[in-house]
Amino acid sequence: MAVNMSGEVILAADRERVWAMLNDPEVLKVCIPGCETFELDGENTFQAVARVKIGPVNARFKGKVTLSDIDAPNSYKISGEGEGGIAGFAKGGATVRLEPAEDGGTRLIYDVEANVGGKIAQLGSRLINSVAKKNADTFFAKFAEAVGGGTVVATNVDEAGTAAGEGS
Amino acid sequence: MYAFDYQRPSTVNEAAALLANGSGAKLLAGGQTLIPTMKQRLASPPLVVDLRDVAELRGIDRTNDRLVIGAMTTHAQVAESAVVASTIPGLCNVAEGIGDPHVRHRGTIGGSLANNDPAADYPAAVLALAATIYTNKREIAADDFFQGLFTTALEEDEIITRVSFPIPERFGYAKFPNPASRYAMVGVAVAKGPQGVRVAVTGAGQNGVFRATDMEAALTNAFTPDALKGISVDPSLMNSDIHGDANYRAHLVTVMARRAVQAAAA
Amino acid sequence: MTSTGIGVPVRRREDFRFITGSGQYVDDISRPGQVYAYFVRSPHAHAIIKNIDTSAALNAPGVLAVFTGKDLAADKIGGLICGWMIHSKDGTPMRVGPHPALALEKVRYVGDHVAVVIAETLNQAKDAAELVEVDYEVLPAVVDLARAQDPGQPQIHAEAPNNTVFEWHLGDKDAVDAAFAKAAHVTKLELVNNRLIPNAMEPRAAIGEYDRGQDSYTLYTTSQNPHVARLVLSAFIGIAPEHKLRVIAPDVGGGFGSKIFIYAEETVCVWAARKVGRPVKWTAERTEAFLADAHGRDHLTTAELAVDSSGKILALRVKTKANLGAYLSTFASSVPTYLYAPLLSGQYDIPAIYCEVDGVYTNTAPVDAYRGAGRPEATFVVERLVEVAARELGRDPAEFRMQNFVKSFPHQTPVIMTYDAGDYAACMKKALELADYANFPQRKAESERKGLLRGIGFSAYIEACGIAPSRAIGALGAGVGLWESAEVRVNPIGTVEVLTGSHSHGQGHETTFAQLVSHRLGIPIDQISIIHGDTEKVQMGMGTYGSRSGAVGMSAISKALDKVVAKATKIAARCMEVPEDTVDFNDGVFSARGTNKSMTFGEVALQAYVAHKFDSSEIEPGLKESCFYDPTNFTFPSGVHIAEVEIDPETGVTRIDRWTAVDDFGVIINPMIVEGQVHGGIAQGVGQALLERAVYDSSGQLLTASFMDYCMPRADDLPSFNVAMTNTPCPSNPLGIKGCGEAGAIAAPAALINAITNALGHENISMPATPQAVWRAAQASVRKMAAE
Repeated sequence: MAVNMSGEVILAADRERVWAMLNDPEVLKVCIPGCETFELDGENTFQAVARVKIGPVNARFKGKVTLSDIDAPNSYKISGEGEGGIAGFAKGGATVRLEPAEDGGTRLIYDVEANVGGKIAQLGSRLINSVAKKNADTFFAKFAEAVGGGTVVATNVDEAGTAAGEGS
Repeated sequence: MYAFDYQRPSTVNEAAALLANGSGAKLLAGGQTLIPTMKQRLASPPLVVDLRDVAELRGIDRTNDRLVIGAMTTHAQVAESAVVASTIPGLCNVAEGIGDPHVRHRGTIGGSLANNDPAADYPAAVLALAATIYTNKREIAADDFFQGLFTTALEEDEIITRVSFPIPERFGYAKFPNPASRYAMVGVAVAKGPQGVRVAVTGAGQNGVFRATDMEAALTNAFTPDALKGISVDPSLMNSDIHGDANYRAHLVTVMARRAVQAAAA
Repeated sequence: MTSTGIGVPVRRREDFRFITGSGQYVDDISRPGQVYAYFVRSPHAHAIIKNIDTSAALNAPGVLAVFTGKDLAADKIGGLICGWMIHSKDGTPMRVGPHPALALEKVRYVGDHVAVVIAETLNQAKDAAELVEVDYEVLPAVVDLARAQDPGQPQIHAEAPNNTVFEWHLGDKDAVDAAFAKAAHVTKLELVNNRLIPNAMEPRAAIGEYDRGQDSYTLYTTSQNPHVARLVLSAFIGIAPEHKLRVIAPDVGGGFGSKIFIYAEETVCVWAARKVGRPVKWTAERTEAFLADAHGRDHLTTAELAVDSSGKILALRVKTKANLGAYLSTFASSVPTYLYAPLLSGQYDIPAIYCEVDGVYTNTAPVDAYRGAGRPEATFVVERLVEVAARELGRDPAEFRMQNFVKSFPHQTPVIMTYDAGDYAACMKKALELADYANFPQRKAESERKGLLRGIGFSAYIEACGIAPSRAIGALGAGVGLWESAEVRVNPIGTVEVLTGSHSHGQGHETTFAQLVSHRLGIPIDQISIIHGDTEKVQMGMGTYGSRSGAVGMSAISKALDKVVAKATKIAARCMEVPEDTVDFNDGVFSARGTNKSMTFGEVALQAYVAHKFDSSEIEPGLKESCFYDPTNFTFPSGVHIAEVEIDPETGVTRIDRWTAVDDFGVIINPMIVEGQVHGGIAQGVGQALLERAVYDSSGQLLTASFMDYCMPRADDLPSFNVAMTNTPCPSNPLGIKGCGEAGAIAAPAALINAITNALGHENISMPATPQAVWRAAQASVRKMAAE
């Protein structure tokens, strides 16, 4: 099931610092909800393990994260693919753009497209939008904390991406 | 299902001891969510601690101006309780609208609250009624207890023991069930009591149960369905799935809120 | 006549065992030493299988074997088949991709079978299945039926360019075009017939067993037609020759079509039983059933009706895209073609009809027959069009229908069928009366005072069942005949065993078939047993589907009973020492006219077996007769359903207030069972119209794979049905029976959507009319009403 989200965060740090942190595996590890490992595996690729807990559901996703379209310190694309064993799989990508904001801060603008499949899509579709949004909010709240403060301006789940009555 | 150990303690202390030290144990308080999840292999707790034999977690009592329901009281018991019917009759309606007869005879109020499914019925009632959740460690106000999607203030080794409701002047619940699962697509609980007017919404929000404060203000002025005319919740904060998009859910919140006020007045 | 004969509402004999938990379903059967199969299924809708690593799974505790498609291929086990050949307009045969029981190079839908793990316990099999590592190269999926044939779409099967299986047509295009050219009015609709998932109460299951000493196989399976399963597994898939393969379909908990087909799972279980030397058992979990049972319906249709200035229907033009899923299931190609287009004349005298159907592959579960199979889709097209045409012309929809009804029989339609008998106006008049149509305006006004929208909708359906004769069906592409067999074994003390090829999985055959025997032989029902579902006991038979068991299966029994009575009459005559033509048989007694001599049926049966009183060179001892019966024509049940709904415009909730069904099923054996069939059928039709839909997302994930999201109709979704019958006997079978099993599901969707659109005041709603959809549509109506 596809989820499309977009949002903005104002961060209390300059663009260079935000960019550095967006490229720091240790920072990403702390910010990704449930992330257990996030290790450099090659040029701009990482091996990651994240534990996803949604109520009683408890699944571990293992996969690869890749950074591409890198335009330092303005933007990149971060994409990942994770296998959750019996739970299914998740894959997706986010384009992240940085713009200078007032008071020396940085505006982070992101666009996410995520796809989940297997059992989690078959049994949990009612929760997928909410969980995706919650994870995005958690990530940026932690990221803002890591860079020294900030506010989530907006997180929008795009209705069209999850159109009711998809397929037939 | 993956293999797991099973324990059936008879006191809260024994149960708490089994949860301690990060054992990863899960409490079984009816099991209407946990067991299906385990059968799907989407949860694999090493230990399941079944609370069914813990007598101190059962029972429904009225003490002065409060209604107290033990955590392991089933939905069917609440629905049929004369004590509940004579104190907060609307709570009987909440309980008898949960799931199906099988669920109502197994599922418990404590289990429902601890799970805090974003479409469960009890969270809305408990939040609207400004109930207090008692655990083996402390008491938690409903406003502090619910912390978003499947998230509560409970610690890993904390066990809900009972829920204490101040008896309101008025209480009503109106639910628009998901036609398939009969979970709330939108459920609105409205209470008028010692804590003032409170409106809690389940099923609709992206992040679980929430209070509709604009509606509370309007109903404080006039506790009538018409007081809610023109007041709606923000669709951008509503959930969307194949059964209903955010706009429809936002619309239903107002409709159900009006019907809940009507039910409360009846 | 006995108290358990034809026309008596005898309580279902089988229910005691079903409701007391004493039924024997496949999952209740345990064979000595049985092991368990668990299937590794694709989580992707479309992917290349680059590699399957089974080594870790093979080493897991309790695992006997892990098989993939390569193992089946190495044993020369063939793929699953589609048994009905359809030719496209240009004369070319349909383009079919292979359907291996376990995927070979590609997976083509979520739930497709990738590997099977066989282990000592089910849990061990599941544990090991998690260790099977499949390396997929995920491909873009084709999910949207409307665009599946567009150039540039991913190709699901190399054999079927543009994912097109066939481009079929029926009828006279030129005649239709000419009629439209002179039409005074044309009604045009775009229709979606939503995809449904059958959800029989009992999920599919199989146990395969191999007897090394006899070199023979036994398959216990949830089948509506065990002989057809054996034929396919033998002749096409190549498990074993028919005499070395016994198929047993014991108690089966509902089928609705989904258990007609020969699936991967039973094929693998019976094959693997020999490989591992142990019986192999598999029972579907509910989500497996959602993913991998054949789904139903799923059409996109553009339909147009041409009407002249007097309101006479001139012609019908239909263009349909039918979703067949990722592979062709056993009878998939027949459903949107010969079970669909020939029904497009409905109950109407329509001079010209032209229908085009494209059969389309998509990366979704295979689609095949589901209760009604093609006929609900056809009825939905015809009855929506006719209703809307009446509204557009300002005509009363009942009266407009009656103007256009077929009024004389036999009636040849422009789409193959010859309707043999019926009285459509009688049904309609009775239905109008029972529905209190005259007072609908008052009820509507009353609803309006409560802020509710009330609507009424009609569906005058025709159904064609008991598909026959076999020769004609063969000419249309069927791979099998559609006769039925029966054997009546009279025991020496006069009890009777009937062996029938009609399988019972909820229809109540053990009661109705016994009623026929009771009626004809004049013996109590408890002296009769109905045996079915075991290829080693029952002679070849074709099974139960398409409402054929009464019209075809019982007719075969009736013919065999004729032979039994004829022979028993001969024997009775010898015993009573009177001429044969003076012997009458009534109510279980043979009596010699003009004498006081008589013998009971039981006495004659005993004489047949002791053979003391006749010359056995003239009359063979024993009393056992059989029949293979092939009807001369389809039978054409028909009826009128009227739905009345009340819609809450605030929430979009549709409440069905009244339901009137007047059906013509010809001669009825057991009115209670027939009513039950009508109730069940309506419930399923209401499910389709209001509640049920399979939702795949754009990547081919099934989002409705459990009852959390797939909404089945429940008792509180339904009103109390007002069911009545008319009776014009069917001239094409000896009992005058028509079929009743699918009627409700055929009639209901159009009636309900017609009622909802009537309430809303516009036609813009599709199935299922969920609360959200109705709310949106009602908002438009409310705005329109406010503006007026």
